[in-house]
Amino acid sequence: MLEHLNGQPQKPRRVVIIGAGGFVGGAVREQLKSDGVPVLALTRAELDLNAEGAAAKLGSQLDADDSVVFVSAVAPARNTALLMQNLRMAEAVTRGLAARLPAHVVYISSDAVYADDANPVTEQSCCQPSSMHGMMHATRELMLRSDVKAPLAMLRPSLLYGARDPHNGYGPNRFRRLAEKSEAITLFGEGEEQRDHVFIDDVARLVALVLAHRSRGTFNIATGVSTSFREIAEKAVSMAGGRSDVRGTPRQNPITHRHFDITNCLKAFPQFRYTPLDEGMARARQSGASS
Amino acid sequence: MTLPVIGFAGLTHLGLVSAVGTASKGFRVVGYDADGARVRDITAGRLPVVEPGLDDMAKEFGQNLSYTDRLTDLTACDIVYVATDVPTNDRGESDLSSIARLIEGVIPALGPKSLLVVLCQVPPGFTRRLPLPAERLYYQVETLVFGRAVERATQPERFIIGCADPQRPLPAPYQVLLGAFGCPLLPMRYESAELAKIAINCCLVASVSVANTLAELSEGIGADWSEIAPALKLDRRIGAYSYLSPGLGIAGGNLERDLATVLRLSEATGSEASVIAAFVRNSRHRKDWVLRIAHREVLARKRDATFGVLGLAYKENTHSTKNSPSLGLIEHLKAWPVRVYDPVVPASAAPHPSVTAAVSPLDAARGADAVMIMTPWPQFRELSPADLAKAMAGRIVIDPFRVLDTAAVESVGLSHFVLGRAANGSAD
Repeated sequence: MLEHLNGQPQKPRRVVIIGAGGFVGGAVREQLKSDGVPVLALTRAELDLNAEGAAAKLGSQLDADDSVVFVSAVAPARNTALLMQNLRMAEAVTRGLAARLPAHVVYISSDAVYADDANPVTEQSCCQPSSMHGMMHATRELMLRSDVKAPLAMLRPSLLYGARDPHNGYGPNRFRRLAEKSEAITLFGEGEEQRDHVFIDDVARLVALVLAHRSRGTFNIATGVSTSFREIAEKAVSMAGGRSDVRGTPRQNPITHRHFDITNCLKAFPQFRYTPLDEGMARARQSGASS
Repeated sequence: MTLPVIGFAGLTHLGLVSAVGTASKGFRVVGYDADGARVRDITAGRLPVVEPGLDDMAKEFGQNLSYTDRLTDLTACDIVYVATDVPTNDRGESDLSSIARLIEGVIPALGPKSLLVVLCQVPPGFTRRLPLPAERLYYQVETLVFGRAVERATQPERFIIGCADPQRPLPAPYQVLLGAFGCPLLPMRYESAELAKIAINCCLVASVSVANTLAELSEGIGADWSEIAPALKLDRRIGAYSYLSPGLGIAGGNLERDLATVLRLSEATGSEASVIAAFVRNSRHRKDWVLRIAHREVLARKRDATFGVLGLAYKENTHSTKNSPSLGLIEHLKAWPVRVYDPVVPASAAPHPSVTAAVSPLDAARGADAVMIMTPWPQFRELSPADLAKAMAGRIVIDPFRVLDTAAVESVGLSHFVLGRAANGSAD
């Protein structure tokens, strides 16, 4: 659960985004820019966390009243090498933050930290990652908690979608792109699994709220509505004009679902509303077409 | 033999109800409390707790009752009950400092042969540590229920007595007192009796948690829990009086206290108690049911909604707001105008910067987009759905405890959201 250190939201003096060139980092950067918040956007070009001296370079760019959003990762971390690379990046960040302690730190983690059978997922659910990627985020969270003394918010998004997502993972992004090209969409089994898909702009808006409230604690980013992959595929096809086939395949694995209980979001940000899936997919399609 | 004189130390809910209940059985009763103002109020008939039938009973048996703020007045008592309510913190843990202070004061005031009986909720191990000879020291389980306390105090199902030696007969005055209630006596060692109290509450919580879990599932799959529960009650293994009405989590303080105690003792002894932790988790989840419905059905569609909340007490027929779901809800509606009404609890108890105190249930509903009936006070059952519909601006009635009849509510064009069944017209 989040605790707001700013009772009333205040514009951060400056936000340093580590990983501003990525899907999430870019969206946060745009949101803050439109909110009129000064941003120091660090992409890999400005700060390569794998490079020698990255920690010192980061520390030298920070001010005590900065807010920091740490979103840089080589994702998904599918193997040991990527796991270790991501942890080294986090080590550089924690050392950099220790050198020059900022006013607030926001880490973009993942719901992969939770046990697979944690249903419905809340911020109190057991962290028991079953994947290398989830373990990477869980370890990074622990590193930050251990080494960073500034107020710290851990944001754990569910599956994200949006026009600029460079990953073409199973879900809204891939389905939309296939449907636009009138290509068939192949489902695992009959696509029965239900997941909670979050529109990227909502992540950016929530990060901005967390920064404005200088919130600390753990917070899930999920809409509270889970949808089957088949339903998403059919939505994508319908939006693209209905020319693609949606095909099932023989099921290889048992069906698992993931649902979120987002009561803590209703309490932390009562006036925030998630973008409904239909609207988000339409906006992603529109942005994809215009980009 | 002459009837023993009974003392009750601590005139909060437990002590006062127990004192009046004992007086109703013909015993002379001395009620002690260190708070002189409280004693004067009670003596004048202004009772600080709300319980159906309590005021009348206190009047009827007033000749048997005396109240005092002097400890020395307890010296004449054959049996003194330590009967103060034990407060809990936010984690449900007991703060035993007040009862420890009270006992420290009472023991020197006891007559040389007087018995001391601990009636408050204490953790296992508490009674045995008290500095009094074992033959004069007892623990007795109380099973009062807020809103039904007088009935429970005067017609107990049984007495569970914690003793140093359960094989030894109870002292004669104590037998006379307990015998007046005409129910079975179950002497057992101190620790067993202290744990028996906790065991009773754990069983109640287990039933309620099952009801809550399956009521939520009913809402999701088109079943109606109110149709299922009566079938369970006809099963002898479950029982006609089992707690199967779904609710908004566990409230009131005492059940949470016992769950916290079991978790703490299990952790200390290494016993497996994850089911208790699951009860706590489920309770936390259910507490916010109304908030979730309000967001899904009202605020997702209208950002400047107004709300009417009926009931602030944690349950009907009590003034207690400890862990009240109503207050928990209102705390998260601070961004919207809220009108509240409770027959007993003042609007000032609501944690909201600009709550409006309504003078009646219909006044609370006036202009509201949604009305939440958060406490099932009997008088709310008298509300006419037609009048409610006229008073409200919106169409949503969130009534977790089914105070109103769904068919009647829906017949006037309102949507009725209850625990255990999906509403017609729900956004889900």
